[in-house]
Order: sequence, then C-alpha cells, then structure tokens
Amino acid sequence: MNKRFVCITGRILMLSMLSLSLPLQSVQAAMIGADKVTISATQVQFDRARVQALIDREDIRAALQKEGIDIQTAHARVNALTDDEVQQVAGKLDQLPAGGEVLGILLTVFIVLLVTDILGFTKVFPFTRAITHPARR
Amino acid sequence: MSVNKNARMQAGVLFLIMLLSGCATPQTQQLRHTPPKDLPAHVELTDVPFYPQNTHQCGPAALAMVLNAGGAQVTPDSLIKQVYLPGREGSLQVEMLASGRRNGLLAYPLTSSRQDLSLQNLLTEVAAGTPVVVLQNLALRWYPVWHYAVVIGYDLPRQEIILRSGLEQRLIIPFATFEYTWQRAAYWAMLALPAGVMPRTATEETYIKAAVALEKNITPKKNVVVYQAALKKWPNNLTAYIGLGNAFYTLGDKEQAEKVLRQATLAHPDSAIAFNNLAQTLADQKRYTEAFSAATQAVRLAETKGSSEEQGVTQITLNEIQEKMH
Repeated sequence: MNKRFVCITGRILMLSMLSLSLPLQSVQAAMIGADKVTISATQVQFDRARVQALIDREDIRAALQKEGIDIQTAHARVNALTDDEVQQVAGKLDQLPAGGEVLGILLTVFIVLLVTDILGFTKVFPFTRAITHPARR
Repeated sequence: MSVNKNARMQAGVLFLIMLLSGCATPQTQQLRHTPPKDLPAHVELTDVPFYPQNTHQCGPAALAMVLNAGGAQVTPDSLIKQVYLPGREGSLQVEMLASGRRNGLLAYPLTSSRQDLSLQNLLTEVAAGTPVVVLQNLALRWYPVWHYAVVIGYDLPRQEIILRSGLEQRLIIPFATFEYTWQRAAYWAMLALPAGVMPRTATEETYIKAAVALEKNITPKKNVVVYQAALKKWPNNLTAYIGLGNAFYTLGDKEQAEKVLRQATLAHPDSAIAFNNLAQTLADQKRYTEAFSAATQAVRLAETKGSSEEQGVTQITLNEIQEKMH
C-alpha cells in the first residue's frame, strides 16, 4: 500500500478509517471502488464518520445502554448499512414497519436516534423522552 | 406474541373483512386463471430449518432460517444483536438485509419491474430452491401487526402457500390471504444467496446494488464470483466491470484486473473510474507509458463530468505515474 495516497481527501481518509473495522476491505492505492460508479453528483453523501462519532457521545451512549445496546454493536450496525439504506431509514423512520408485532408510531433507539438526530429531524433529548411513553396497544 | 397463535385466525378475519370491503387479490386471480407454464405445480423446500420465534423476534428467527439455507452458520440468538430493536420490539427491513450481508450472503430484496408480478416472482424463486423472507402485515393498514415469515413452498392447484411462521413449522394459507397480508407490507421480500447464485428473477439494478453492498463482507475471491455472475447476465454493466477488476487487483492478479478494466474502458469510454483503475493497474506492472495515457484520459473525463472525489483521485494517479516515469 502506498501511504502517500491514503490521505488525499477527507472522504478517502474517512473510508479508510472505516475499513479498519471491516474484514477484507483493502485500502488500495488509487483504485476507485465499484460503489462510486452509480453515485451521482446530486446524491447526498451521508457522513458516517459523524454518526459513528455521535454514538460515542456520553448522552447517546447512556440512551443506548438503557435500551440494552452496547456501543460496539451500535457501531457495527451503522457500518452494515449502505448509504442508500441509511437514507431510506432517515426520512421516515417513524412509519417504517419493524416486523415483530409493533403498533403504530413508537419511537425508538439506536438508528432512529442516530440518523434522525444527525440529519436534524429530531434531537436526542426529546427522543429519549419519547421512549418512556407507554406503548399504545 | 399473539402473532403466531393467532396468525390463522387473524388471516381469516382479514380475509372476511377484505371480501366485505370489496378488496381484491389480483395476483392470486391471475395465478389461478393463467398459471405460468414454467412454474412447477408443487414445491416444498423441506430442508429449510425451522426456528420457532421468541417473543417479538420473528425477524431474527426468519432470517436465521434463510441464512442457514444459504450456508451461513447462524442461530436466531446470534442475529438478535444485528437486527433486533428492543425499543421497537421488532426488526427493520434494512437491517434484515444488512445482517444477511454481514453473514456473507447476497441480500437481495425481491423486486419486479411490474408489481403485479410480485407473487409470481416470489413463487419462481421458491421453485428455484430459495426460501424467501416476507414481511406481512397480519392486521389492517390502520392497525398494523407486522410479521416476518419464510415462504418455503406452494401448491398451485390448491392455491396455497407454505410458510415457516412464528411457532408454526408448516403454516399453510390460501394465496389470497397471503396476498392480502403481503400487499399490506408493500410486497417486501428478501433472498439470501451464496456468492455467484443469481436470483431467477433478478433485475440488473437491484442485483448490482446488492453486490456492491456485499463487497466488503466477503473475500475478494468471492467478489470475483459475484461480479462474474453479473457480467454473465448483463455483459455491459460498468459497476460489475469495476467490481470484478478491483477484486482481481486486490487478489494481486494484475493481468486479469487489466484485462477486465480494459474491457470496461472499451464498453464505457466515458468512465473516468475505468481509466483510472486501469492506469493504476498498469502502473503497478511498471508499464508507465500505457499507464500515463490511461491516467491522462481519466483526468480529462473526471474534469468534464466526474465527482470531486474522482477528480482528486485521478489527478493523484496521474501525478504518481509521472513521478515514476522520471
């Protein structure tokens, strides 16, 4: 690996940092990934690094732990989503079905919080209050 | 937890309500009147394992069944940490797909160019030997009860579908009932396939997206297989060319990488990425003159229509090659 090439842009740096936690993702000198082929100029580039940083914030860590999700798990789950999927979820999370007998709009932890917060749909604290409401049946 | 025990009853009630309210099950009708000739009359994938679900955890259970069938050694318990949301008491579709990938399988959301063929496509995949996870809304639009189940078979003459669902290893319900519950979940379904296995009803865009998303979770050798399958079916797909070329490159097989990337530049002479990666591959083989020419072309293409990342990387590739030439 040619080290001079890794730090060209923030994006590449970010991708390569991400790759540390992923198996088998090599940081190639100046090869461009297949995932870049279909990205159009207008497509929002979702900044995972910010999401990952968010998970490490004290208040969010506490909220996640309260729901029984540890930090490593949260990181891994955000990592596992594609940019597309993150955006799908972000726009309308409160309406998405979550298979497993769930009723209506029940705000939740984890991605909801991370994604909606980062995109400015919600704030963490209103959200964490929301989960203390009794579930409607 | 009432999902499982009451699945039949709910489905029955739903069926009645739908009859009364005049809703239709057009796809069931279509299958009844004009059954596709290439679809076997009876199919049941008896080898698909069964995991009865724990409370609310139909997601991990359904997923474990299809992942096992695809060759991944997982249990529902091991998947809870990947898909279950305690706050929602359920699992999101995107995380079901993501978990399939994390376990090394191609997670393919069933899509069709025509939504009215969803049921037919679903049966086609089952007939090809692939169990399919489906999302159902067992109740009503305004009172949803979401549920994941696995379709493992069907019987065309009897108009019945066979599911592994909740606590039932072999739940048989009429096509029409199934169509109501599935329609309500926007016909969502997913397959989890080993590298190189192409869904029978695959569409180009969906397969390629799934392949790219899988890339980082599997070995370069397996990526070669995934992209080769894509190029076999869609010989002109640029993403597949780049993915295949990069996989060979990562494996250290610069000759194969060069061959594939060169084909990519011929099929897509406007792709800065194809030229850039070809240039890098040639430079690695110390063929700097050829590399310089490809890199120059990459820079030119990136300048006119590339993203800023493409512009940055192509310029760096070119600079490095120039440096080495001196």
